[in-house]
Amino acid sequence: MKLKDILSPLYVWKRAFEKPYSIATLTEQRPGSPVYRGFHQNDIDKCIGCGSCAEICQNITIDMVQVKEAKDGDSGLRPRFDYGLCCWCALCVDICPTGSLRMSNAYTWVEEGLDKDVRETFCFTPGVDEKPWDSEELGYKRPNDYELLHLDRVPMPHLPVEERLSSFVEMVKGYSRELARKEADRCIQCGICTATCPAHMNIPAYIKAIREDNLEEGLRIMYETNPLPGVCGRICTRRCEDVCALSHRGEAISIRWLKRYLADSVEGQKYAEILALEVQPRNQSVAIVGAGPGGLSAAYYLLKMGYKVEIFEARPAAGGMLRYGIPEYRLPYEAIDKDISFIVSLGAVIHYNTNVGKDVTFDALHENFSAVFISVGLFDSNRLAIEGETLPGVISGLDLLDDVTNGKIPVLGQHVLVIGGGNVAMDAARTARRLGSDVTVLYRRREIDMPADREEIEEAMEEKVAFHFQAIPIAIEKTSDNRLNFIWGKAEMVQQEEGKRPVPVMIEGSREQVVADTVISAIGQSAHYHWMEGNAITNIRFGRFNIEADRWGKTSDDKVFIGGDIFNRTADAITAIADGHRSARAIDAMLQQKA
Amino acid sequence: MKELYDTISLQFTLKDFHQQKPNLAFATAEKQQLIALLTYMRDVHRYTHLVFVTAVDWLEENRFQITYMLHNYDIKADFGIRVMLDRDKPVMESIHHLWEQGRVYQRELHEMFGIDFPGSPGVNEPMILEGWQGPPVMRRDFDTAKYSLETYDHRPRDTREPESHMKEKLYPED
Repeated sequence: MKLKDILSPLYVWKRAFEKPYSIATLTEQRPGSPVYRGFHQNDIDKCIGCGSCAEICQNITIDMVQVKEAKDGDSGLRPRFDYGLCCWCALCVDICPTGSLRMSNAYTWVEEGLDKDVRETFCFTPGVDEKPWDSEELGYKRPNDYELLHLDRVPMPHLPVEERLSSFVEMVKGYSRELARKEADRCIQCGICTATCPAHMNIPAYIKAIREDNLEEGLRIMYETNPLPGVCGRICTRRCEDVCALSHRGEAISIRWLKRYLADSVEGQKYAEILALEVQPRNQSVAIVGAGPGGLSAAYYLLKMGYKVEIFEARPAAGGMLRYGIPEYRLPYEAIDKDISFIVSLGAVIHYNTNVGKDVTFDALHENFSAVFISVGLFDSNRLAIEGETLPGVISGLDLLDDVTNGKIPVLGQHVLVIGGGNVAMDAARTARRLGSDVTVLYRRREIDMPADREEIEEAMEEKVAFHFQAIPIAIEKTSDNRLNFIWGKAEMVQQEEGKRPVPVMIEGSREQVVADTVISAIGQSAHYHWMEGNAITNIRFGRFNIEADRWGKTSDDKVFIGGDIFNRTADAITAIADGHRSARAIDAMLQQKA
Repeated sequence: MKELYDTISLQFTLKDFHQQKPNLAFATAEKQQLIALLTYMRDVHRYTHLVFVTAVDWLEENRFQITYMLHNYDIKADFGIRVMLDRDKPVMESIHHLWEQGRVYQRELHEMFGIDFPGSPGVNEPMILEGWQGPPVMRRDFDTAKYSLETYDHRPRDTREPESHMKEKLYPED
């Protein structure tokens, strides 16, 4: 044995007094780095359950599970992580459209007990299942200079304001193929929008069709739920865009303009071939009162089911409010005609200039048809109910829009006052601007309370329409030089009931006046039903303002259905279209049952 | 480093010179000339150290790229030499006789990309994927999720699609 062999164990002992190289893992706290990709955190109130995290995950780590009730803009689902699969790549954090998902720098999780179900171990729903790292500030967040989503819209080309004011040419130019595909490419296909669309259009599917440049497939998808896509592609209230997942950190997808692109890109003559409807003809026929969006939609789906359809329309052309209530610069007549002519080509018979109650009785419809669908719309303008309302020079917004549609050029004079804050008021004001008048809008509440589309308000302002808010009409007088003196009072907003919107109350003694040549009232519309007479209405129950009906538009008379503005609360085209579709299915079910 | 590139270009066919930093440059060489070029770089131009060998899968172009990164300790500079291989016949000459550690990189590339280096000692032995049955994992056409689903047992899933879930909850009748 050598000396070295005896001594070497002793050398080791000198190490006992040195600082050890090993780390006391179990006894010492070792926090992860400040940007460590550790366990997830999710702000479940900010999260909308769009499922983008689950979609992008390469390892199937994430399940979407129900945590809340589904509502507009929120599926109620939240991501549940299986850490047996996670590889900590953080793509889920990077893609998150709301920014609710992030990672803490925590990385130790001791699972106790061996008797647990394997499905429960190392699985959790961040933000729901309490964890020690829930309030940890440190950890990975999406860096600010790095973005997987395209948050900015592809801008839509518009006519410049000066050109807009000199004509009624459509002001929105529409996307080119290149721009549309670029915009479609921003969509993450989460489908949160579909529930909010009154017609539940399959929005992700047609956007995908645009992205893949498959326009025919896109058109087919749109017609499944909406037979007026060219119209809706222009004037839809697009509530889908309000809930778009991208709107949380950026701009919503231009869903409406993409729809318009699809509808405009396919020639009308090709619709029949592309949509190739195979119709099984049926004997029953359905009468439709009113050729607005509700009536046309019902007609399309009934025709598709094989029924015969006759539409009774009081006006010389079809379209209802689309044609007579929306100015040409927002919705050109060619676009309306393109959609309608396809429906007519399927065999819809439209009796123009035919007033039910005058030219044909409601009784006759009730008797001669298997079912009647009523969608007459709201064409009676509400009265201002102030003194001087009947003076010459005081007209309604609808009258003005109607006249312009009919080719008349109304003389409005130098200064026009528009009373009201809805879309009709905006359309009337902007039409008056195009006819050369200076326009002031008076609205009884605040700007944020205006029911008109934000876009219409902004465009009206661009077009130099002036606004007086919190202005309550008092009276109209005739001036000595044959003009109109409009007297109004300033209002203050008073919170009268908790949780409701504040009410304008006139400030005592307030009295302002403004001189105008024309006063246009646009404070809402209503419908009347005196045209419905005879035996046929005995079974129909009328409410205070309307006809009572269930969610299918079915009245207390088996054969009579209603839809459109007289039925729904939102009074917009897309809801009317949804009503028509829903009632068409209910009519079909009713007739099938009878057969 | 452009000077060096110009000098070796007199003897070898090189292209795509790219100076990324003052002391880091790349160039693409011909596959047949690679061994001679590396030997020349090592023995004449003092690029004596092999830093690493790595590969890129250019799936769309149907090519593999191998990059040999060399280092010169005298001037503290790196020169990366790339060669392109046909993705359908991914075979490259071995460099283990030039640098002993080359065989480790080649064994790794064989495992990860399925590139063969005939004659490289132990090139067919697994590096980290013992018992691996599937395709080379770093090839871009290897669908990891699909492979995983087909090959392994998974916990039962309970996931929902937002769109269909919302239809079921909010408008089942429509």
